[in-house]
Amino acid sequence: MSEASPVLQATGLHKSYRSGDRRIEVLSGVDLAIAPGESVAIRGESGAGKSTLLNLLAGLDAADAGELHWDGRRVTPATATELRNAYLGMVFQSFYLIPELTARDNVLMPRRIAGRINAAARSRAESLLDRVGLAERSHHLPMQLSGGERQRVALARALMNQPPLLLADEPTGNLDERTGDSVIELLLSLCLDTRTALILVTHNPSHATKTQRVLTLRSGKLHHG
Amino acid sequence: MPWYLYLALKQLFPSGRRFPFFTAISVLGVALGVGLLVVVTSVMGGFGYEIRRMIVETEGEVQIKSRGLIPDADTLVAAVEKVPGVEAATPYASGVVMIVHEGRPAYPAMRGLDLATVGRVVNLGHYIRLGSLDELDDDSVVLSSELAQTLGVTVGDRIEIYSPLMIERLRSDELFLPREVRVVGILEIGHQQLDSSMLYCTLRLAQDLYGLGPMVHGINVRAKTGVGEDDLAARVNASALPRGVQAFSWMDSFEEFLWVLNLEKGMIFFLLLFIVIVAAFSVMSSLLISVVRKTREIGLLGALGARARGVAACFCAQGILIGFFGTGAGLILGWFMLAVRNDVVLTIARLTQREEALRRFYQFSNLPAHTAPGDIVLIVGLTLVISLLAGLIPAWRAARLKPVEAFRNE
Repeated sequence: MSEASPVLQATGLHKSYRSGDRRIEVLSGVDLAIAPGESVAIRGESGAGKSTLLNLLAGLDAADAGELHWDGRRVTPATATELRNAYLGMVFQSFYLIPELTARDNVLMPRRIAGRINAAARSRAESLLDRVGLAERSHHLPMQLSGGERQRVALARALMNQPPLLLADEPTGNLDERTGDSVIELLLSLCLDTRTALILVTHNPSHATKTQRVLTLRSGKLHHG
Repeated sequence: MPWYLYLALKQLFPSGRRFPFFTAISVLGVALGVGLLVVVTSVMGGFGYEIRRMIVETEGEVQIKSRGLIPDADTLVAAVEKVPGVEAATPYASGVVMIVHEGRPAYPAMRGLDLATVGRVVNLGHYIRLGSLDELDDDSVVLSSELAQTLGVTVGDRIEIYSPLMIERLRSDELFLPREVRVVGILEIGHQQLDSSMLYCTLRLAQDLYGLGPMVHGINVRAKTGVGEDDLAARVNASALPRGVQAFSWMDSFEEFLWVLNLEKGMIFFLLLFIVIVAAFSVMSSLLISVVRKTREIGLLGALGARARGVAACFCAQGILIGFFGTGAGLILGWFMLAVRNDVVLTIARLTQREEALRRFYQFSNLPAHTAPGDIVLIVGLTLVISLLAGLIPAWRAARLKPVEAFRNE
C-alpha cells in the first residue's frame, strides 16, 4: 500500500436493530476514510450511534451492509479478530485492564496474544510506560492505580503492537476534567509522535477541537463539524 | 508460554495476592477426593496384598490337584522339585471332619501336613499364637483360633475327631471309635474364614481318618524368588504330571475370592470417585461465576485480537490446572494419611477401648496398605479428565461471548 492510502476506509455502513416489531436504523450509510497519522473526533448526542459505529469500525460487530478496509485489507467477521491485533489499538471509557496483571503485563497483553513475547517486547512495554509517565509503577496492579493512571496504562497497551490506527471510545468519560485533559493531551501527543491515526469518540467539545477533523453523527450519517 | 495458559495461571494465582481463596478452595476439594481415593485404594490393596501373602505362606504359590487321589506322592514331589523355578513341594490331604470337645461339636476343614517337607513350603509357624508346631505328631492337632475359642479349647486339651469314613464303616456294621487327640497349638492366620474352621494334623493322621492309605489330595509348591506363579504353574503342567493331575497358581485357585476382592475395591473406587466429581462440579460452578464476573475482560481479550478458541482454552486450562494442583496436593495428602494411618487407627481403638478387638479380628495391629502404581495412574488420569470436563462448559460459555455483547452487558 502506498503512503497516502487510508488506514481505515468505511463505505456505506448500515446497521439497524430490531425492537419489538420495529426496526430501528442506527447507521444509514456511513462513509469514512482516515489517512495515516490523522486524528478525527466523532461527536454526537447520546443514542446517536457513536458506540455502534465504533464497534463496526473495530470489527467487533458486523454491518448489515457496507464495506470496511484497514490499511487496504478487507475486514470481514472471519478476518476481523486476527487483523485487529495488528492493525488496531483500542482505548475504552472503563479502561478494561485485567485486574490480575501488573501495569507492565497489561501493556504486554496484545503482544502476548500475538505470540511474540521477547526481550524487545518487554523493553517496548517499559518504554511506553515511561512515555505515559508510569515507569515507576510498572509492577503495580490496576487496583493500586488511580483512574487517570489506569487510562494511561490502557493507552500504552493500545500502542503496544504499533497499530496504524487507534480507536478511543470516550476515554475521559470516567475521569475528572483535569485528568481527562491530561489524558487527551497524552493521547494526541503519542499519536502524533508515532504517526498513529486516531478516531476519538467524545462528548467533550474542547477535546474534539484538538483533533485535525471533527465529525458529528446525526440521523445515522456523519457530518463535518 | 501461550497467552491463555499465562492468563489462566495469573487468574488462579494473581500477582501480589498471598492467598488466592478461590484457587485454594477448588484445589482443596479435588485434593480431598484424590487423597481419600489414594488412602482407600491403598488400604483395600493392602488387605488384598496381605491376603495374598497369607495364602502363599499357607498354601504355596502353586497347588497341584487331582480329580481323584494322587497315588504316588513321593515320586511326584521329587519330579516337581526338579522343575526349574520350584523351591520345594509338600503333599497334603484334606477334608471335612467333626470334632467334639465336652459335648460341643464343630465341623472344621482338616489339612494333613507332611511334617518332613511342609516347613520348606509353607510358614505355618509364623501364625502359631499358642503352643508349638514342633510338638505336632500323629496323636495331636493344631486348631485355628476362632475354632478353639468356639469350642472352649486351649493347648493341652483333648478333643475327639470323627471322619466321614466312620459313617461308611457303620453301614457295614463295623464299630469305629472316634480318634482322641491332644491340642498342641492354636494358630491364627488373620483370614476370618480360615481362622474359624481349620484343623491341622499330620499327613498320616489325615490319611488314617479318610482311609487314604499312602495317597494324598494334592501338593503345595513353593516358587523360587522372582519366579511368577502363573509361569511356574505352566512349567509344572508342562512337566510329566500324571493324567488327571493339574497345577494351578494361587490366583487360579482363589479366582472367585480375588474377583470378589477386586469387585469390592472397584465399587469403593467408583463410589469415592464421586467426591472428585462433586469437587469438579464445584470447580465448574466457580469457573461459570468467573465467566460472568469477567465478562468485560473476556470482551477485552476479543478486542485485543484473541480468538474465541484461545478464550475457551484459558478457562479450560484453569480447570486442568486446578485438577493438576489438586491431584498433586491429594497425592501428598494421601501419602501423609497413609503414613499416619496406624497412629489414627490405634488412637481410635484406644479411645473406644477396642484395641483387643482390633487385634483379634484383624490379627495385624497395623492397618495394611499397598499402593499399586496402576491405581495411582488411574486416579491421576481420571481426576485430570474430570477437571478438564469441569472446565469445558465455562470455556464454551466464555467462547460464545462476543466482545460487543460483553461491553454492552458491562
